Amino acid sequence: MALEKDLNIAKEKATKIKLFCHDIHGVLTANNIFCDIEGNRRYGFWHMDGFGDLSFMANGINIAFLDTTSIDGEGLFRAKELKLDKFYYSVTNKMAKIEELKKEMNISYEEIGYLGCEISDITPMQKVGFPVATADAIDEVKAIACYITKANGGRGAMREICEFVLRAMGKWESWVEVVTKKGYK
Amino acid sequence: MNKADAIEKAKKVKYVILDIHGIMTDNTLYYTQEGVKSEAFSLHDRLGVKLLTEAGIPVALLTTKISRADEQMGKIYGIPQERLWGQGAKMARVDQFEAETGIKDEEICYAGDEMIDLAVMKRVGFSVAPSDASHEATAVADYVTAAGGGKGVVRETAQFILQAQGKWDQITEKFK
Repeated sequence: MALEKDLNIAKEKATKIKLFCHDIHGVLTANNIFCDIEGNRRYGFWHMDGFGDLSFMANGINIAFLDTTSIDGEGLFRAKELKLDKFYYSVTNKMAKIEELKKEMNISYEEIGYLGCEISDITPMQKVGFPVATADAIDEVKAIACYITKANGGRGAMREICEFVLRAMGKWESWVEVVTKKGYK
Repeated sequence: MNKADAIEKAKKVKYVILDIHGIMTDNTLYYTQEGVKSEAFSLHDRLGVKLLTEAGIPVALLTTKISRADEQMGKIYGIPQERLWGQGAKMARVDQFEAETGIKDEEICYAGDEMIDLAVMKRVGFSVAPSDASHEATAVADYVTAAGGGKGVVRETAQFILQAQGKWDQITEKFK
């Protein structure tokens, strides 16, 4: 399977994106549910992935959470905290949602990025211009990705891909300068 | 990272400033099913803060926003309210601190893990990053701890500073 990726091709594709989509579990979380003996559940999100999402938005790249996997609305809690305007809860058909966003923003597939890890991510990843897999994604997803993050899902994959894209676009250094002076909120 | 240099730098430290997320926590935000956010801290770090404080080296926390969890942990660690600093512009906060106290860059230890911490890490005398910090942070740090964030970074930093200053045996005696 083609797991060796050409970095130059990935960088070239990354420079074009205007919309970046991802699901919740396995990407922003490590696919864990913590359940106490009373049955209360909690979900762990990597803190600096929020910086990844916020950095994209601050640099003119829209973020869409296509949440098909939330159990208690945990994706919604995270999206609210990050003040995302494109959050779609209980999405049953990711591809239809992406089509809708594509029309709404008047962009092409080439201008869409996607971070995935599971079977349900395969169809959108085959369509979009910049498909990315987490380090612990299933092999089928890794095979169709043009970049595989070093980080696992829920362990900074989103933070990593944000840096990759903004570096490819030549926006990273100036963004870091802004963040360093003013903070990122 | 050069250990001999790090020891020389740690000798001068009079004040320790810590970022919270990724330093005192394991980088993870836990949401309950009701949407309540929580974080995991290390009890090793409580001892670290107490050892530093006992040695006359105050510890302050600097993060974008001080949450109620941070206030609670401040109480558990013995860090008073006035040393919980919530400000995104970290350089400006350190400027203000130095103007108020007369403490100089080289007398400050700062522990950080991310882009937002880089400028402060570069200006202070002794900068620390956890082993699982961003590669930019570990690249500029004078000392990279063996511990990852939320797994005893402060405890390890405290030991490094107090050993460099020759105070370790005397201070720990009180805790035995």
